[in-house]
Amino acid sequence: MGRYEKVLNMLMDYDESIRLAVISNTSGDILWNSKRSDAKLQVPITETKKALKRESDDWVDRCKAADRTALGAPLYHITSFEKTKRVTLPIDAFHLLFLSVDNTPMKNTKKKSYGRMVEMGKILSIVDFVNTFE
Amino acid sequence: MDKYEKLLDMIMDFDDSVRFAAVTDENGEMLWNSQRTGLKNIVPVTETKQTILRALHAWKENAGVKKNIGSGLYSIASYEKIKRITVPLDDGKLLFCSVNNDPVKSSINKRKSYGHMADMGKILSIVDFIKSQK
Repeated sequence: MGRYEKVLNMLMDYDESIRLAVISNTSGDILWNSKRSDAKLQVPITETKKALKRESDDWVDRCKAADRTALGAPLYHITSFEKTKRVTLPIDAFHLLFLSVDNTPMKNTKKKSYGRMVEMGKILSIVDFVNTFE
Repeated sequence: MDKYEKLLDMIMDFDDSVRFAAVTDENGEMLWNSQRTGLKNIVPVTETKQTILRALHAWKENAGVKKNIGSGLYSIASYEKIKRITVPLDDGKLLFCSVNNDPVKSSINKRKSYGHMADMGKILSIVDFIKSQK
């Protein structure tokens, strides 16, 4: 099993709220993907592909900006919607990880809920771990 | 005081780790901004403007999936030293915040730190409060 497939498997195993995990190239083309078997795609795949293309372009810009400034290395990008969070992060110089995560508010909260927390520390540590097997 | 000036004041008061906050129009022009006293910009304003334009473009495209996954709430681009947050406001306006992301120092937690968590629930509740003002 390749390390990219391993990343997808580990992420899907770690958190049931991840509905779709994709690895794309820097042009936004889907190379590997894993969809949770009982989850229906909320967004048509054409829209997801459009988002991937834009995110890929944005990541190129973010990495260039990080080179020019003192921001430090870029780690991840989250876009949060009422029902879904979209997470992207660069896996290496040529590949991007895209996650679609359930963001349905918790039922038992008394205050207004803006959705669920994505544990980025855990996701980044999984990516770092798999990258050590390069 | 304009309600968006009030928004910036509340955001700066709420969290010392917010270094810079701005409200822009739909073309990316900064209408109001607030910089924490004593801090120097680590990113030139021209770079920040590029980031804001990229975010505005992304939020325009994201409007296409509102029927599928609800309204857009916020985006976070996390770098080693800084988190850059955008929140769409009314009339195409955008809130932009730059937040310190220095790794958490702890004698208990020996694991690698990927930075601070941004309290988005609090930031969004401040935004909602301001939106409710006339």
